[in-house]
Amino acid sequence: MWLNRLPFVWKQMNVQFQMRAMQWFSFGLIVTQPVIFSAVGYFLARAAGRTQIDLIHTIIGSGVMGLWSTLLFTSFYDLRADRREGTLELLVGSLTSIFSILAIRTFANVLLGSLSFLLSLIVAFLVFGFSPPISNLLYILVSLAVLFFCFWCIGLFLAHSPVVSRLSGLFVNYLELPIGLLTGFMFPISLLPGWAQGLAAFTPMVWAFNGLSASFQPGADPASLWKNWLTALGIACIYLIATFFMSKRVQDMIRVTGELSSV
Amino acid sequence: MPDNTEIAVKVEHLHKVFQSIQGFWVQKRHPVTAVEDISFSIGRGELFGVVGPNGAGKTTTVKMLSTLLLPTSGTASIFGLDILKDTNQIRSRIGFTLGGNKGLYSRLSGLDNLKYFAELYKMEPDAINRRVKELLEVVGLTGREKDRVETYSSGMQQRLHLARALLHDPQLIFLDEPTVGIDPIGAREIRQLVREMVRRGKTILLTSHYMYEVEELCDRIAVVDHGRIIALDTPAALKAKSSGDCVIVIQTPNGGQTLNGKLESLRPYLSLVHSSGETLSLHTRTPSKVLNELAPLLEQNVITNIEVRNATLEDVYVNIIKNNVA
Repeated sequence: MWLNRLPFVWKQMNVQFQMRAMQWFSFGLIVTQPVIFSAVGYFLARAAGRTQIDLIHTIIGSGVMGLWSTLLFTSFYDLRADRREGTLELLVGSLTSIFSILAIRTFANVLLGSLSFLLSLIVAFLVFGFSPPISNLLYILVSLAVLFFCFWCIGLFLAHSPVVSRLSGLFVNYLELPIGLLTGFMFPISLLPGWAQGLAAFTPMVWAFNGLSASFQPGADPASLWKNWLTALGIACIYLIATFFMSKRVQDMIRVTGELSSV
Repeated sequence: MPDNTEIAVKVEHLHKVFQSIQGFWVQKRHPVTAVEDISFSIGRGELFGVVGPNGAGKTTTVKMLSTLLLPTSGTASIFGLDILKDTNQIRSRIGFTLGGNKGLYSRLSGLDNLKYFAELYKMEPDAINRRVKELLEVVGLTGREKDRVETYSSGMQQRLHLARALLHDPQLIFLDEPTVGIDPIGAREIRQLVREMVRRGKTILLTSHYMYEVEELCDRIAVVDHGRIIALDTPAALKAKSSGDCVIVIQTPNGGQTLNGKLESLRPYLSLVHSSGETLSLHTRTPSKVLNELAPLLEQNVITNIEVRNATLEDVYVNIIKNNVA
């Protein structure tokens, strides 16, 4: 069943890459931004007198910010582009659910974002001479998989919002920086007010980021890693399930309001 | 009215109300009726036309029937399937184009567009390749299929729209203004394709602004205005209702302002006066009487030209819409 749908998955990703990735806006988003994040993170950490081990958190954090920015903007704007180009009605009117379409698109967006993540690390390595200690590759790979899954779930949740309203894209800019703060990329979460720490606790990427950051540390505690991974996966799954049920409601809602078309 | 067993589309008292927003600081919602109590049916294999001015409710009707919009009240069925309950079954049996140059991925090739939409309709890979090749041939895009859609002319894009709508071999096709913005040759090619679809047994609902188009193509025509059907019949029957009607087209240098008094005295003999720039169209069943009155004005150069012709479907349409407004 799933194997039969593989050509569709590939075709959908191909459309996504050709339509959204291969343009100057995306180039700036995927390539330029991680360089800036990496540099800012590195200089801030140096100015704070952090050691090489502490820098892992900062450098990985800048990579996560690159991934988040790419995912946020691509997820929001590609459906807005569909509405503008008049293809959103065709997608909704087809036999494939909007949830399936967005699931594949968001996966493609996470892949694009992972390029941004990788570039952050490369910049940190080539420009600032930062080389992360890799003591347990398996931990790092599992942490990366958890991180990407969390981003996919959140991206899918966010990707539905442009279907609901033409105005949703206005809020995209307000969502970019808070995640940087909540992940503790620039300064420790403990410095944030209580409500913000509570918000961070219900953000799966924060746990996944902590897990990834910890997995680079020599002598990482497996129990702590498992706690971060499982909490991240648990919260991400809550978002995924909520999105699945929301998707059907969204489709019915837009058929009432007529928010599908570009005018 | 088609026989019950042969009905492809049955619409009963369909109603659609949107909520419009007024105001900036204090926003108020108020209902706007787009479609009001529309009822009609379309027989299998029939080419049914819907005409009407902008904002009459044509596109909203098409979108409700193609399951993109939910009606506020009323019912409609496609091949006996309810548009509210049997959405996916209906979608597998209908195709639609929504007019204009939108609705295609402009940075992809025509071929990639068709293959992508075929995947969305869950077609098998072998069937996709075969069908796409066949349709490219039918719509005359073979040879240009690997070019980006953004390099296509409007006519080519419309033909690609048609190919896309036909991918999963639907039995019913909704064509919303398929020739809008296309040059006469491109429009003629589109009409030829529409005829070919009907010849292959497809049922078609076509909306258009062009009367000659619906007259040439459609078996029956519904005239829609302000969300309601105000006339529904075959083109011949609609014209017959105005049989004996003549249209006297006169050219006046000042748009007929100096004719106001004369037109007032002729009012009992005129069913409609339609003004467009320096041209006045007078609909009448007693052309000789009207011409007798107007002829002296030709000598005085108040009128520069007079032309008399039988009423066309477009005249009938203008008559129906104007009388509806009145």
